[in-house]
Amino acid sequence: MIRTATIILAVIAMLVVVGCSKPPEQEMSGATQALDSAKMGEAPDYAPDAYRVAADTLNAAMALKREADAKFALFRSYGKSKAMFVRAQALANDAATKAQAEKERVRVEVADMLVQAKALLDSAEVDLKKAPRGKGSKADIELIKTDLAAATAQHAEAQMDFDGGKYKAAKAKLEAMTQKVRGVMDEIAKARGMKK
Amino acid sequence: MKSRLRLLFAVAVPVGLAIFLLALVFYQRDYPPTAVQANAKAALDRAARGGAARYAADDYNQAEEAFKKGSMALAYQNGRFALLRNYQEADTLLAGAMQLALKATDETQARIDSLDSLARNQIDDLERELALCREALDGTLTNFSAERYWATSELSLKAARLLIVKAEYEDAMGSIAKGKKALKQVVEAMAEAANHEKGNIAVWRTWVQDTLGESRANGSYAVIVDKSIHKAYLVNGGTVVRSYRCDLGWNSAEQKYFQGDGATPEGRYKVTVVKRASKYYRALLLNYPNDLDKRRFAENKHKGVISRYARIGALIEIHGGGGRDQDWTDGCIAFTNKDMDSIMKCVAAGTPVTIVRRSDRWP
Repeated sequence: MIRTATIILAVIAMLVVVGCSKPPEQEMSGATQALDSAKMGEAPDYAPDAYRVAADTLNAAMALKREADAKFALFRSYGKSKAMFVRAQALANDAATKAQAEKERVRVEVADMLVQAKALLDSAEVDLKKAPRGKGSKADIELIKTDLAAATAQHAEAQMDFDGGKYKAAKAKLEAMTQKVRGVMDEIAKARGMKK
Repeated sequence: MKSRLRLLFAVAVPVGLAIFLLALVFYQRDYPPTAVQANAKAALDRAARGGAARYAADDYNQAEEAFKKGSMALAYQNGRFALLRNYQEADTLLAGAMQLALKATDETQARIDSLDSLARNQIDDLERELALCREALDGTLTNFSAERYWATSELSLKAARLLIVKAEYEDAMGSIAKGKKALKQVVEAMAEAANHEKGNIAVWRTWVQDTLGESRANGSYAVIVDKSIHKAYLVNGGTVVRSYRCDLGWNSAEQKYFQGDGATPEGRYKVTVVKRASKYYRALLLNYPNDLDKRRFAENKHKGVISRYARIGALIEIHGGGGRDQDWTDGCIAFTNKDMDSIMKCVAAGTPVTIVRRSDRWP
């Protein structure tokens, strides 16, 4: 009787142990999907450090699972790898969030630059209308118009780059264009100063 | 005694066997290549920081793949019974990953150096071409369409320089290409102007020669203006008496098409009125528009080259108030007041004034 009970208990214990050592397929799938999502969200470009940590954690979780896979069934334990997959998923989500935030920051920065550059162009056009006119200024005014036309075209190009997500290219064009327009406005201001 | 021996045997054999097995495991086991793994990881991180994923994508991706496989192989062996472990495959994969990562790093640096050098050389080329165009443009009458393209090219160059500083080489090359295209348009605009001159040079030569012939025949004064070099020649009996520097209309690379276009007209004219006092010191009114001007104006309106509301204009004069070394008038020819005095000693109503864009064979 006692012997039978002992055998039954041993079998139950074995089943419990085997049952507890289920591989963390769900956690692994969740972590992998989260990392792929972060990659599609351009996390390697906008949050490279956070992405790298998430990727390394996922790799380490995979290694722990692999190690457990190699053990005899009764001795397998996926507890550590499961916890690491959960951590990897959280890190991947964090990288995706950081990337989104950084991308948005850059987008807002360049969007702001576009607006300011347009305002500067409009100011320059207004200043040009107030520029001293008369004999001696028409050629200069025409040349200023060509500079402003080139700056306006550059602004349009920067807008296209912005719309296409090429924020760095847009930023460089806006910086160059802004510099040029400020120079033109200084010229006009000097001419108005001389007229007075 | 016998029982003690039996007891000793019963304990010593299992213990001895256990020690023997432990020793076997200790000496026969394969060591995990953890150092190789750590080195491969460090090499991959270095490659990633250097931009290998962008500039040496193939090698970098292969290195990453090899590292993953090697790490999995290592982990698998770690899970096995010690005596059965074999880290050979893991070791090979991880060592291969490290080599590929190092190769990717070197390739990345070489690519970046090459792109940087190429971009900077192209920028220098563009800057040189810009400077040459600038020189050419400054040496001619102001060509506004060429100036617009030049301004576009200059802006593209500025943007390219900023992009190189940010190591955005592809975008920098794109900007340089735009700059070069705009510069090509400058050259085309200048060529178009030159072709237009080529098409009319025979006419201008004839005007000059006819004016000289008339001056020679009558023993009288005439004025010949060469717009391209901002010079006016006072001739008497077909010979140059004196030359003067002059300022022209602000848009004098062109023939005059309509009132307000800023161009000094090209043609054969005569002085109609001598003004001893004028807004610009003294002035000589010309008979612009002449018949040819009127005919051309009508044709251009008919073809739609100019607006139907355009007016032909008038009041083209030779006057003082010049010497500004720039083209500033609305189409008149301006001299210094001193030169105006000199001209007015010789010129009277009826004196021929011939204005050409370029006089290539005379004086």
